[in-house]
Amino acid sequence: MNVPSAPDPETVLEWANTVQSTSDKILRRLAGEYHEDEWGFDEEFTETVFPIFEFLYSTWWRVQVEGASNVPAHGRTLLVANHSGVIFPFDGAMIATAIQKEHPLPRWMRAMVLNWAFDVPFVSFILRRLGGVAANPANLTRLLEADQPVMVFPEGQKGFGKSFADRYRLQRFGRGGFVEVALETASPIVPVAVVGAEEIYPKLGESKPLARLIGSPYVPITPTFPWLGPLGLLPLPSRWRIEFLEPIDLSGYGPGSSEDRSLVFDLSEQVREQIQDAVYRGLVERGPAFI
Amino acid sequence: MKLEGKSKQRILIAGVATHWGSELARALQGQPGVGEIIGIDSSPPGGDLGPVRFVEADIRDPAISKIVPELEPDVLVHCGIVWYPEKGRPSRALHDINVIGTLQLLAACEKTPGLKALIGRGSAAIYGSAPGAPSFFTEDMARRYPLVTRFQRDIGELEGYFDNFARRRPEVTCCMLRFQVEIGPDLDTPFNRYLSLPVVPTRMGFDPRLQLLHVKDATGALAAATLNPVRGPVNVAPDGAISLSRLLRLCGKAVVGLPPVIDGFINRRVGGYLGSADLYRDGELLLKYGRGCDNHRLREEVGYELAFDSEGAARDFARSSGGLPTLFPSPHPGSPVRVSR
Repeated sequence: MNVPSAPDPETVLEWANTVQSTSDKILRRLAGEYHEDEWGFDEEFTETVFPIFEFLYSTWWRVQVEGASNVPAHGRTLLVANHSGVIFPFDGAMIATAIQKEHPLPRWMRAMVLNWAFDVPFVSFILRRLGGVAANPANLTRLLEADQPVMVFPEGQKGFGKSFADRYRLQRFGRGGFVEVALETASPIVPVAVVGAEEIYPKLGESKPLARLIGSPYVPITPTFPWLGPLGLLPLPSRWRIEFLEPIDLSGYGPGSSEDRSLVFDLSEQVREQIQDAVYRGLVERGPAFI
Repeated sequence: MKLEGKSKQRILIAGVATHWGSELARALQGQPGVGEIIGIDSSPPGGDLGPVRFVEADIRDPAISKIVPELEPDVLVHCGIVWYPEKGRPSRALHDINVIGTLQLLAACEKTPGLKALIGRGSAAIYGSAPGAPSFFTEDMARRYPLVTRFQRDIGELEGYFDNFARRRPEVTCCMLRFQVEIGPDLDTPFNRYLSLPVVPTRMGFDPRLQLLHVKDATGALAAATLNPVRGPVNVAPDGAISLSRLLRLCGKAVVGLPPVIDGFINRRVGGYLGSADLYRDGELLLKYGRGCDNHRLREEVGYELAFDSEGAARDFARSSGGLPTLFPSPHPGSPVRVSR
């Protein structure tokens, strides 16, 4: 029979230090002594909640990553990914986590976030503290000009809220606004294909009356939500695969090329096809969704 | 257009009895290039403004078209655009003061041949506060969103008249300044009163990103633009941004988050209490979604160097509003973070 031995003094000291530094940090933050950048990104907050994303990344979704080093380690970078999630944009969070864990020189990613997210209580400021910025060309241009790495999801709401039957079929890429900005700012585009995020909340339908009731743009119905209440918000433990493709260099097109409609549409379509191909490839590589 | 180095300019300040009109009159005294300073308003300024010549006139009155040309100003600064009711300016009169007053003043400028520059002290409220808005509005984005509040529509209308005048009279340098929210220890505005409430109500689940313009910079930028006016609108906004929650924590305030069902009612009551009256809706939107402006034009073209960024202004306000009970004293009171600026 095992008798639990008393912890050695050094471990106790370590615990005490952790407790003290944590309480110090909490008190310091409650006094307003922390840093936010001009966009409202709070690095300390992001680092503090990062273990939650790490857990989801390693244990819950067992994310496999391919080609993380395709993301430039410095300078302006535009990551373009397929979008899904239905309830919370976990795909963006996992791309950022993948960079942190797999990239030799990780940076915190900024993300272009759908406008209506800033109308949802709590989500509005939590996303901002994690690096979310309202999706519009002005913000994207300014971030890229400041040499930041930015994620965009050109499918937007059409991809985020699509039903389970449409999974892994990329939706239309809007008007290609992201290509215009990338051309204007001469930023390389890194296409990213995310596989696995479509199974976390299988959307079967949506409820218009509920959406009207809580003032949300839409309320999805999944096998567990809203039937199980808050428990239904628990994402299913699917298996994920994220692939970063080779960067597309746009610096050769020169200024003014962003006004060339056909070039913008061609590039936008090229990026979309690359991601779609990589998604199909990734689905085969990943194998079954849950085991 | 540089005024310095030439003969002394006669500067006319419309709305000299307002806080910012008086502050500008004080700031301009003794500056190189500044000659006579004349102030007009419907009531005399509260404090002593020294050598400033005061002319009693209401800018809404058509007689202003006779008075202004007689004064022969080189530069006219319009400080009579008011954001919230003040003593002698009830909320019902705000539309009249802002829109009709500006129209009359512009009509008077048409009859003033020697006028070289016209500066308006407007508001960044023209950009509004929206969930998907650019984080940094530049001057060309003014009417990107529908003007939803009454004050916004007033500001939009008067800026329209202002632009018209600028087109008709290209020899006059017309500069509209768009001010972000000012903050300062002795400033008496609805926002500063809001921060001085014993318990501050905020909207539950929202934490707006704000830019706080220090009073010194608000006056400094106004004076700088008067001495070196540029054409077109200029944002007067500080560098950086700060979230409302952090501002309140730095001030050590107790906060209560209002759930969506009752917040409208409470906000209306609080808005009335703070004296923001009809403009309460602007404040409500600002305190939900926040607003940020780009300040490149101010720094590079007007050439004004800001003394405080948003965080510095918040810290200065927190320090000078001291004596308030602090809920969470900093565990490192002597740290260099605390004493910066």
